[in-house]
Amino acid sequence: MQGGELRQDDLEPVGLDWSNLKKVKPREMLVRFIFGAAVALLAAVVGSLAGPKVGGLFLAFPAILPASLTLIEKKEGITKAWSDASGGLLGSVGMAAFAATAMLLLRVNPILALVAALAAWLLVSVGLYLFFRVTGLFLRSDRLFRQSP
Amino acid sequence: MHIVVLAAKAIIGGLAVVGFSLIGESARPKRFAGLFAAAPSVAIASLAITVLQKGPAGTVPYAQGMLIASASMLAYCLASLVLIERVHALVGSLLSWIAWVAVAGGLYFAFGR
Repeated sequence: MQGGELRQDDLEPVGLDWSNLKKVKPREMLVRFIFGAAVALLAAVVGSLAGPKVGGLFLAFPAILPASLTLIEKKEGITKAWSDASGGLLGSVGMAAFAATAMLLLRVNPILALVAALAAWLLVSVGLYLFFRVTGLFLRSDRLFRQSP
Repeated sequence: MHIVVLAAKAIIGGLAVVGFSLIGESARPKRFAGLFAAAPSVAIASLAITVLQKGPAGTVPYAQGMLIASASMLAYCLASLVLIERVHALVGSLLSWIAWVAVAGGLYFAFGR
């Protein structure tokens, strides 16, 4: 894994480039659909058999990540796959914000709760990303986990 | 559980995952795209249908379970950061499921019951 490649990628401007979608193969999306549907089913079945709280655990199960990371490694190399997982780490903090917001607001207004929960996920994930990017914390945190310099 | 509810959860959950994946595919840089890999795609679909099926009070325990498992998602990502470089993405990300199961199980038995 190349530290230079990692830093170079980090310097790219943040944004969405919809033209990248032309490279996405329908088969890759089908795999993600199947995994997503399977986890939703699993959460529902476990919830009815073992209780809703146990079912809820599977709402934060990383079912898609192995497929995503493997595809990224195959197409763009191990550094990009590592980088994607590193972003997932910040996204999982956002996921906690999503769950906490939903938990607190569901009884007040369920529609508002889900909209606010999604906003909380976006705010916390993107906020953390920008904080790490601006302060250079990515470089420090990378040193903790990376094997190569 | 009614088969229609199960099917709706599966289809809408799968579509939500595809939606967030497409955003992730178009996002750059890669670390920013990674945020969408941990998007609550299945959760939003599942919670919305559960609200319709069981009402808000019946949905809260699902959100509580999800909050517990968010910590295990964090553990999963930490484990994958350590393992991907050593054993590559497929094996590393699959082995990291052990971290998810250990943390989710541990926290559930400690605080969730």
